[in-house]
Amino acid sequence: MEATARTYEELLTQVTELQWQLEEANDTIEAIRTGQVDALVLESENGHQLYTLKSADQTYRVFIEKMNEGAVTLNKDGIILYCNSQFATLVNTSRSSVVGAPFDHFISLGYKNQFKLLMERGWKEDCKGEVVLKARKHPVVRLSLTTLELDEGFSLSIIVTDLTAEKDAQKDLKNKNEELERINHALETSNNDLLQFASVASHDLQEPLRKIAVFSGLLKDRDTNNLSENAQVFIDKILSSAERMKQLIIDVLNYSRLSANDQKPEHVELTEIVKDWMTDYEILIREKRAKIYFDQLPVIEANKGQVRQVFQNILSNSLKFSKNYVPPVITITATRIKDKNFDAAPGNNGKYFRISIKDNGIGFDQKYVANVFSLFERLNTKDKYEGTGIGLAVAKKIVEKHNGLITARSTAGVGSEFIILLPVAQFY
Amino acid sequence: MVKKKVLLAEDDGDDNFFFVYFLEERVDISILNCVENGLEVIQFLDALANNEDLPDFILLDQNMPKMNGLETLKYLKGNARYASIPVFVYSTYADQNLAEKCGLFGAALVHQKPTDKEGYNKMIDACIEMIDNIA
Repeated sequence: MEATARTYEELLTQVTELQWQLEEANDTIEAIRTGQVDALVLESENGHQLYTLKSADQTYRVFIEKMNEGAVTLNKDGIILYCNSQFATLVNTSRSSVVGAPFDHFISLGYKNQFKLLMERGWKEDCKGEVVLKARKHPVVRLSLTTLELDEGFSLSIIVTDLTAEKDAQKDLKNKNEELERINHALETSNNDLLQFASVASHDLQEPLRKIAVFSGLLKDRDTNNLSENAQVFIDKILSSAERMKQLIIDVLNYSRLSANDQKPEHVELTEIVKDWMTDYEILIREKRAKIYFDQLPVIEANKGQVRQVFQNILSNSLKFSKNYVPPVITITATRIKDKNFDAAPGNNGKYFRISIKDNGIGFDQKYVANVFSLFERLNTKDKYEGTGIGLAVAKKIVEKHNGLITARSTAGVGSEFIILLPVAQFY
Repeated sequence: MVKKKVLLAEDDGDDNFFFVYFLEERVDISILNCVENGLEVIQFLDALANNEDLPDFILLDQNMPKMNGLETLKYLKGNARYASIPVFVYSTYADQNLAEKCGLFGAALVHQKPTDKEGYNKMIDACIEMIDNIA
């Protein structure tokens, strides 16, 4: 009994001793691996002997151990002679179990053949390939193969780059792109639907409207004698309402079409645009005794028809919203400016023109500046000033389509200034 | 004065009424017939045995059931017997797009539907002027 106990104790001591030796050996290996120790001098039967890792100089040992990639060397049979800790982590296995095992063991089933071919090639020339490792997360890795000549002969070294993050990012990007494409498609469809709706609605709305106008006209002309004075006034109101609605429909249709037609930009002489407008509005200009001043206006690259509309809408507003008994004075100026900013400094090589259209009309309170550019917003009663409330919304949409900006600065009772920034050239 | 014979294709009863009501006083035209769509135009023309009885011009509404203005225009211009008859198209909403399409198939003029007597007269004046220019 006592003898057994002693033996057991002895065994226990032995185990502890062996464990200690193992730990020391492991520490030594770790020290060599991490570059803390270059060589070991051990006492043996033949006296002191120097042990060192062949062909592995300290710098590279550290480098390989610390790098993010896995690194292994294989012998001719594909057995792993060395692996760094990163590779062991990649395959979720301890380093001691990796060394001595065939590399093929860590390749996912479906990629074994591919790896076999890659390895055969790797012995002949440097090459790369992608495989999936047999590990918990099935990481996709890139293998970079190259042969190394060591004292014992040739070995194959493989750098193992984990592509999981890269693949995830690619997948993520692909998903995002698909999502974007889907949204774009939906947007396009909805835009087309809207356009179609506007077109059909405008067309079909005009049909009954025209009937209202024609029949009211018939009633007025044919039955004048039978109509009371009130009835005649009412018919006139029906007629003018129908006319107004027709104008609204046409304006809405034109507004909705602005997003659709993409004509090529051309050179537009703003001086010519203003002169043309003056010809078109000759009678009203004369009636109101309006004065229009402008210096040499620039040539810009834009959609001519649309720029014409912008000028027409703003200039006509200046005429329309003039003060009673005060002849309108409209001044148009243009300055080339450095930045896309209403208060930007002038610059001869700037990419934008700042165009100012200033009048001495009734103006409006500056706090309504956003409203004047909104669809159907009217600051004045339509009894006094006719219009559909679309003109400036159209101007804004056109300017923005040209990559420009528009704003207004106004004081009620003094006058308004509309400021437009338009690019010198269009980039499309 | 020799009256010009006009054939109207118009499916809308009110518009038919306007056409006759505003234009019946004119001495330079006679309304040959008012039919309701393109198919009826063809039926009517085919039934005329003598070429002298064919209309001097045809006015087509664009939006008609069964066979619309543009389709009728295409048919007429492709038919040897009718190809030389001037055809006019009118519509509540006659835009550039419609005008271009009709012009492509040989319509003499595309007109917006008028809203009063003066408008109807102007439209017919324009038609007659164009016919005289062609002749």
